[in-house]
Amino acid sequence: MKRNVIVISVVVLIVGLLSLAGWANWQNRRQVKAALTAQQNQAVLVADNGPSGMHLNSPLVGKAAPAFTLTNLKGEKVSLASYKGKAVQLNFWATWCAPCKIETPWLVELQKQYAPKGFEILAVSFDDLDKDDKILLAKEKTDIAASAEKLGITYPVLLDGDSISKPYGDVDVFPTSFFLDRNGTIVAASAGLTSKDELEGNIRKALGEGN
Amino acid sequence: MSRMPIVRVAVSRIALSLAIACAVIPGAHSQSAASAINDHPMKAKQVAVAYLFPEQITVAADKPTAVDLHFKVADGLHVNSHTPHTEDLIPTTLKLPETSGVRLANATFPPGTDFAFPADPGEKLSVYTGEFIVHAELVASKGNHLVEATLRYQACDNQTCMPPHSIPVTIDVIAK
Repeated sequence: MKRNVIVISVVVLIVGLLSLAGWANWQNRRQVKAALTAQQNQAVLVADNGPSGMHLNSPLVGKAAPAFTLTNLKGEKVSLASYKGKAVQLNFWATWCAPCKIETPWLVELQKQYAPKGFEILAVSFDDLDKDDKILLAKEKTDIAASAEKLGITYPVLLDGDSISKPYGDVDVFPTSFFLDRNGTIVAASAGLTSKDELEGNIRKALGEGN
Repeated sequence: MSRMPIVRVAVSRIALSLAIACAVIPGAHSQSAASAINDHPMKAKQVAVAYLFPEQITVAADKPTAVDLHFKVADGLHVNSHTPHTEDLIPTTLKLPETSGVRLANATFPPGTDFAFPADPGEKLSVYTGEFIVHAELVASKGNHLVEATLRYQACDNQTCMPPHSIPVTIDVIAK
């Protein structure tokens, strides 16, 4: 009798545990499915051919680049709309981003090379700005300017990139670049340190010369 | 046949069932902080560094006490050390709120290891990868304190960097 009670108790316990496991797995699958659905509209990084270079499979490619107006290092307002008719690379970077420093000399060269064809780079800084502290804000702007000068950046540097991050798909890895054709349509995007050749390929695509 | 073997079999089956249940029920086992780190190094918004332990310490009140704080950097990522080679890189730092009743008298960070991006092998960075330990010296007033320190870091992988981020370092400090 006592043995039967033990056996029945064990069976009940096992059935209970398995039911709990099944319920938990069902919950888990439901959460994973919900997470996957939520991610469908987000950008996906896909490894390119070779160790360097990541294409950004952004849903923005093929669409008009979100409009923005930011301030440059001189305090002047700069609007993306004013670059219509030019091929533009929006290069999202930060002074603390080591890979950004590696690609910057390539960008400086490419900008010089393709400027006569109507190509422009806008460096959009994602460095934090303490807007409530005027002294700190001034120092932060000075630091960004010093860093840009040290890197030899000759194209416009725009501040407060974080304010336009959302329409560009919540940019949170650097460097990230969007390549716009002369009509302001995004024709390519890349995330992470790519090669100079890949950057040039995207620039040519923006100029209507590439594939 | 005695009853003892039957009981042993029953116990072993219960243990097996529990093991299976623990393996398949999410959260049924204790998930370590380290395993909470996302697997994919390129995944945006990921937590690059996890605080491992200790969660609770007992110290002598009003006396400096050495505590080793253990952290783990997610696989495939690195963070700048406390002393990066250049000023524009953001160092890993530890802060304690001043109102917690616990003061950070001193913090000694480990030296970084050299790292270079494959595209620029000549430029060495000073970074932490894997597990690293911060030797902290805490001074607590008598009583129980739930301290929420913060570790600030800036993480990258081989191709990209993420913005600087802070994680909570929560420690239950019992000062007697």
